[in-house]
Amino acid sequence: MIAGGAAAGVFGSLLGLGGGILIVPLLTLVFGLDLRQAVGVSLVAVIVTSGASAGVYLQRHVANLRLGMTLELFTAVGALIGGLVAFLLSDRVLAGLFAALLMYVAATMLRRGTADEAAPPDESDSAYEPAADPPFSASLGGPGYVVRNVGFGAAGSVGAGVVSALLGIGGGLVKVPVMHVIMGVPLRVATATSNLMIGVTASASAVIYLLRGEIDPYVAGPIAIGAFVGASAGSRAAHRIDLRFLRILFVVVLLYTAVQMVRRSVGG
Amino acid sequence: MARRTGAESDGLDQAIARLLTAGTYLSVALLGIGVVLMAVAGLAPRGGPAFDPARLGADLVALRPEGFLWLGLIAAIATPSARVAASLIGYLRGGERRMAGVSLLILGVIALSVLLATATEG
Repeated sequence: MIAGGAAAGVFGSLLGLGGGILIVPLLTLVFGLDLRQAVGVSLVAVIVTSGASAGVYLQRHVANLRLGMTLELFTAVGALIGGLVAFLLSDRVLAGLFAALLMYVAATMLRRGTADEAAPPDESDSAYEPAADPPFSASLGGPGYVVRNVGFGAAGSVGAGVVSALLGIGGGLVKVPVMHVIMGVPLRVATATSNLMIGVTASASAVIYLLRGEIDPYVAGPIAIGAFVGASAGSRAAHRIDLRFLRILFVVVLLYTAVQMVRRSVGG
Repeated sequence: MARRTGAESDGLDQAIARLLTAGTYLSVALLGIGVVLMAVAGLAPRGGPAFDPARLGADLVALRPEGFLWLGLIAAIATPSARVAASLIGYLRGGERRMAGVSLLILGVIALSVLLATATEG
């Protein structure tokens, strides 16, 4: 269980996904947990992954705190909505939604070439000074990039929050593409900022799961420790790892777990 | 309105990074103690007790694993909110009202989550 949490922590911290996308299938398919309990435990692991990796990314000036704070307001609202709706849906519906999301992400990752692998921002260029009275979006940019389409980004962030609460993931699956593709944020900054945001998104719904008795401390403890170890290692090694290799590996894992979740959804 | 300089922004980033690291290390340390106590007691990683705030103190004093596990989980879940609260203070001190407002609204949504969960519990 600790090893599974560690693997999820590594992937989560590297790709800005939080790791829940691996933890939920692990707990349901390998350890036989009820899906809703798995989601509750996964949310805790996402928070730990966020804390362990975002600290490193902030110290290294990769994560964008202002952008993350702005978007996480909308993801927190979405998480609140999703946390309430989740208890109205059956396990089979949740499993079906999860499978659909896994396949969507796998397809998106496959479509992406290496062309969008933006270079990390120049760490020496952190002294950015806003103009005297810039528009709000101008104050959200960072060294070497400006943020655009803030309205679409906000709408996408609400969706990310709903997905996070429903499926026990950090919402990075939605946030990273929204920031990178729609808002023009470099990919490494998007994944690092997503890592920063997912903690708040997950905590908003984790509270609901905690108070409803859907978090088993005997499961959450080992998983969270594993996630911490994995996320700490992943965030420190992020700049040395080829993201193309990770993407291919991740797509394989996503497709495998998607098939398993489809089987669960149809009762197979 | 005073505007934050790049150096001040960097200072807030570093302060937030330290807070996140400290909160995460604290929660993981508590969870680690809980997991060790689980192993010592021969408990399988399934079927833990439900969350009961009234028992937390007694469980900690009695060195029961669930006491440390629940405290660690609470610390973990509270760390992101603490980070937002620290950001609020930092932005207020830097005269950034818009970002301070954003921080305050995030805290409000989290508080609303807790209230709704409490109101609909059971």
